[in-house]
Amino acid sequence: MDPIIIMQMVAAGLFGAVLYTIIGVAPGTDETAVLAPVTLALILAGVSPYAILAFFISAITAKKLTDSIPVAVAGIPGGVMAAPMVEPAMVLKQHGLSNLSIKKMASGSVIGTIVSIPVSIGLAMFIMPFADTIVSYEGLIFFSGAVFLALLTKNKLLSLIVIVPFALLIQGLRELYWATGIVAQDTTVFISFFLGITIGPIIFSIFELLNQNTRNSMPRYGYKEIEFKKVVTTERFPNPLKILTRKESISASFGSVLGSLTFFLSPVGMTVFYGELLSRRIKDPVKRASRAISTMDSLTSATYMSGILIPLIAIGLPLSPVAIGPGNALFNAPPVFDIDNNIHHQLTMSEIIVATCIGAAIAMIFTYYIAMKFANQICTFVFKLVPHEALIGLFMGLVLMLAFMDAGWVNLFGVLLIGLVAGLLHRNGVNYGVMFMILYSAPWIMGVFGS
Amino acid sequence: MSNQRKNLVEIWEDHVHIKDLVIAVLLCSVPALGGYMLAPNEPPLPLAIGLGSAFVGFVIACIVIKPKRHLEEIDEE
Repeated sequence: MDPIIIMQMVAAGLFGAVLYTIIGVAPGTDETAVLAPVTLALILAGVSPYAILAFFISAITAKKLTDSIPVAVAGIPGGVMAAPMVEPAMVLKQHGLSNLSIKKMASGSVIGTIVSIPVSIGLAMFIMPFADTIVSYEGLIFFSGAVFLALLTKNKLLSLIVIVPFALLIQGLRELYWATGIVAQDTTVFISFFLGITIGPIIFSIFELLNQNTRNSMPRYGYKEIEFKKVVTTERFPNPLKILTRKESISASFGSVLGSLTFFLSPVGMTVFYGELLSRRIKDPVKRASRAISTMDSLTSATYMSGILIPLIAIGLPLSPVAIGPGNALFNAPPVFDIDNNIHHQLTMSEIIVATCIGAAIAMIFTYYIAMKFANQICTFVFKLVPHEALIGLFMGLVLMLAFMDAGWVNLFGVLLIGLVAGLLHRNGVNYGVMFMILYSAPWIMGVFGS
Repeated sequence: MSNQRKNLVEIWEDHVHIKDLVIAVLLCSVPALGGYMLAPNEPPLPLAIGLGSAFVGFVIACIVIKPKRHLEEIDEE
């Protein structure tokens, strides 16, 4: 491989690790909402696919490592995926062990990442012979995916009912854009609809504020109170295998193998399920919590890695919640990537593996070290200096710009419309996965139901 | 604290002040869109300038808007 390409991958990996070490700490940042727009923008800006992959892998590894830091220090999740860890982390915090909690989580995360890379490659090679068959049923598969995910959501009935109407909204807008000549016949608007769904819940909340009655009846809060425990940090470079007990290492590794096997299912659901399963029988609350957080963190890291690697190596279609959410741009970012020509097609398997290893290694070394040494400082920095308003503003800005890029002024309103609908549905228990699956299968659904 | 008046709403798991939110959204989206449109029409310039200006807007927003969090530091043990 060309040394220049390797340099690019290292640089992209470093950028991803630094950026997402900070974003990972910010409370409540949804993985899809923070990863997808930036990855997309980089792809569209013409960054090489090698660097993009290294960036993305480094970003998810770093984000998974740091989103557990605020859980340990302040009991608030740094991301959706860290939410299941709050309960066991609070047990450790009550026993004055926040310090231990960060180390256990970060070490679990490192083990999960390391174990899941070879497991994912193995699984991908196993799936590869069936890839052509899988790809030829693309529309049907995404539709079945929507139905399947709908059955796993909180509001099953609504999720099932909205499949056709939501597909109608998406295809309807596309047909309108074609009919009025806003976009060329051979261009399918995708990116901005995807982002519209992603920030739908925020758009919906903001629009609710426009209604005087709703505004008056909304619960009002003072400053968010965060109890912050200073943790003791280590000087030397910590060894994850020494921080975890033997049993914890085994259960973390076992968890990451299981997590990789179920790459096509919801990572949060699997984390809660396996985390409970693997720690349930321990009586001592501290030991149980410690086992639970190390296993859970290893699991989320592993499901993330396999969820992106397996579809990327074997299929070339985003067939997992991670690939269809945060990693979507790696599969579909017209005009650079589309379903028939993306990272899967442009890079060989060994190139994908090299980029993945570079990205993961940079994030693990940089972020793991930083997380261990500067946990207090990072939290204080983000909590005190980065206002939540600015984060929301940045993502809104990115979405508006990409909406304009896709189909001009009218599309700002098109994305707004999709965002409002998606936000309303999300509020009522239809999760992102279902809506993304519908977005992918919309042309197929309309082809079947329209004829 | 004096600014403990309850005038914040919860969006996306954190507390925000509505007026500040509007300011932040404007500070980021106006430069993003403006940068994209005013840039010379040679890809990837529009996108790069749009992104850059959005980030500058974000930094300004971080400076002019105060985070609505109150940290209470407790020493371990």
